[in-house]
Amino acid sequence: MLKITDVHKAFGDNEVLKGVSIEVEKGDVVAVLGPSGSGKTTLLRSINFLERADKGRLQFDDIDVDLKNASKADIKKIRKKTAFVFQNYNLFANKTALQNVTEGLIIGRKVPKAEAAERAKKALDKVGLSERYDYYPGQLSGGQQQRVGIARAIAVNPDIILFDEPTSALDPELIGEVLNVMKELAKEGTTMIVVTHEMQFAQDVTNKVIFMDGGKVVEEGTPKDIFTHPKEERTKQFLRRVIPNYDYSI
Amino acid sequence: MKLSISFILETLKNSIGAIPVTLKLTFVPFLIAAPIAFFLALAQVNKVRFWSRFSAGYVSLIRGTPAVVLVLLLYNTLPVRLSCFFKATGSSFNVYSSVQPIVYAYVIFTITAIAPLIEILRSAIASVNRGQLEAAYTIGMSAPQAYIRIILPQALVAAMPNLGNLIVALVKNTSLAFMMTVKDITQTAKLGAALNYKYTEAYIVILLLYVVICLVLEQICKLIERYLSRYKGFRTA
Amino acid sequence: MFYIDIFFKHVWNILPYLKTTFLVAAITFLVSVLLGGLIASGMLGKNKPGQMLAKAYVNLMRCVPPIVLLFIVYYGAPYLVSSLFHKDINGLDAIYFAIISLSLLHGASFAEMMRGAYLAVGKGQEEAALSIGLTKWQAFYRIIFPQAFVVALPILGNSIIGLLKDGALAYSIGVVDITGRAQYLISMNLGGYVLETYLALALIYWILSSITQKAFGALERRLQKG
Repeated sequence: MLKITDVHKAFGDNEVLKGVSIEVEKGDVVAVLGPSGSGKTTLLRSINFLERADKGRLQFDDIDVDLKNASKADIKKIRKKTAFVFQNYNLFANKTALQNVTEGLIIGRKVPKAEAAERAKKALDKVGLSERYDYYPGQLSGGQQQRVGIARAIAVNPDIILFDEPTSALDPELIGEVLNVMKELAKEGTTMIVVTHEMQFAQDVTNKVIFMDGGKVVEEGTPKDIFTHPKEERTKQFLRRVIPNYDYSI
Repeated sequence: MKLSISFILETLKNSIGAIPVTLKLTFVPFLIAAPIAFFLALAQVNKVRFWSRFSAGYVSLIRGTPAVVLVLLLYNTLPVRLSCFFKATGSSFNVYSSVQPIVYAYVIFTITAIAPLIEILRSAIASVNRGQLEAAYTIGMSAPQAYIRIILPQALVAAMPNLGNLIVALVKNTSLAFMMTVKDITQTAKLGAALNYKYTEAYIVILLLYVVICLVLEQICKLIERYLSRYKGFRTA
Repeated sequence: MFYIDIFFKHVWNILPYLKTTFLVAAITFLVSVLLGGLIASGMLGKNKPGQMLAKAYVNLMRCVPPIVLLFIVYYGAPYLVSSLFHKDINGLDAIYFAIISLSLLHGASFAEMMRGAYLAVGKGQEEAALSIGLTKWQAFYRIIFPQAFVVALPILGNSIIGLLKDGALAYSIGVVDITGRAQYLISMNLGGYVLETYLALALIYWILSSITQKAFGALERRLQKG
């Protein structure tokens, strides 16, 4: 469904992506793991053109574009098929929870207002925020804000949702509520790419794990492959560092 | 020292009648300048090639020159140049009889108001988190939609205190309109004073009126600020 | 039509009068600093009537157009002095009236700036200084002032530019600074070369402002490095 090939991106002298290719099928839940600075966030942002890659090809169903020279119309098409969940939520500060969700429907996709409100409420109910329609982001906890962020993403019925470290900015006790919502989505067959540091989530919920380091994909496979039989030395080192008492020989 | 109370009251009455002119001289230029300044500020924030430099140069030039010098320069040259221009094009349009002095005042005050407005809006736009724009893009908004619906409402709140100060500064600046023979508060009171040679009284009246206008406008700005920032509201939940 | 040679001639003709412009600005600056310090200490002090008086003064001055204050002082001060001290100061050089009115105005804005800078430094600094045995005055000039000065620098630069610009109004009561000189040149030419003369004047002001801004920017960067 989604295939990106040979993505390169540099910020000045700093080469962040050095030829990354990944493929995602419908219904896949893909975790992208790797140490900070490995380029995983940049990769995710390039898919949605928040970052303009220096080189690379993106195929999405029948759309086939060059990442560097994609036209405004192509970018709009891709953005319509995708949704993005940000690390620091990026809820619109001047809009209520409900308006944050309807905004993408009414403005981005020309859904009539009444229908948009209906769909937005459904999305907010799904993430457990039926009591918070009229709250402004400043009045919500971090976990609640991120759940609005997810509601904003699912309300537009995207073909794929891109999660950029959705729990990294949260206090530990709030991480669970967000991960539970994501698990629920995975169960329903939502296609997702999740850049994350939550190893347990990657292991239990995803069906594909990509390990990146130094701007390249080092290893990819099923969670079982990666977590219990990592082939590459760098993967092993990373897992030993991030998982306490990790023993890959089990 | 004896101040003539009856003269003060008389001048007060006349000058209060001129308050609308002073307000017009404040808000007409402000409203014309605002959209122009917004686009120039955007150009600077987004480092648009030519316009961002133009904008910075414009701000430096206008901010670096006294308002009174700009008034003298423009008011003493614009009508003549315009008249020459129309004559050269063969038009029978008579600049001197057709264009009221207040129009020049509008133009000149607009030119001067754009510069501080650019500075205020630039820092206000820059203060809105970049992620707001990205989020707007990811849900399919175009750049104009994102700026109008998401960035501008938040930037305005950040800009409000400065905008309030600017309005006060613009009100004060309108006192220069008397140099263009516009009958604002200053000019009206001065005319009365010249007849009776009671300048001190006249200027005390003027000062009082400016103080009242400014205090009222400051309160209105505070109300607007509170209204615009309602989304920041109370922090519960 | 624009006569570039006249423009340069007038720049040259105006320049010597910078002396007066600088004199007005410099004395106004000094008086404003003193007056501002007094008002700021009034606002920050514990004396309630003093606080209210200082705040009222600052709020009042924020609303007064410079030209109006200039005229009030110019016409009103001789009135006031003759009725209080029975002295005639009508013949006094206009420059004094200009300096008095500009100082009254900028004293208020300097006070606001000083108060803001003082508060930005924070109570803890003073408490720490007192706790190691410094007197209040020592705490102020050794600890508070150097920090407050850095905080105030950007505003100070703008204030000085503002003061310089407001000085241009002094021509209207007869002070012959660079603006007064430009007016004189125009009347000497029977109203001719208006564009050239005023552009020459504007250019001089713009250069002065730019230099001031650059200088303060450089100073700020140096002081912030420590």
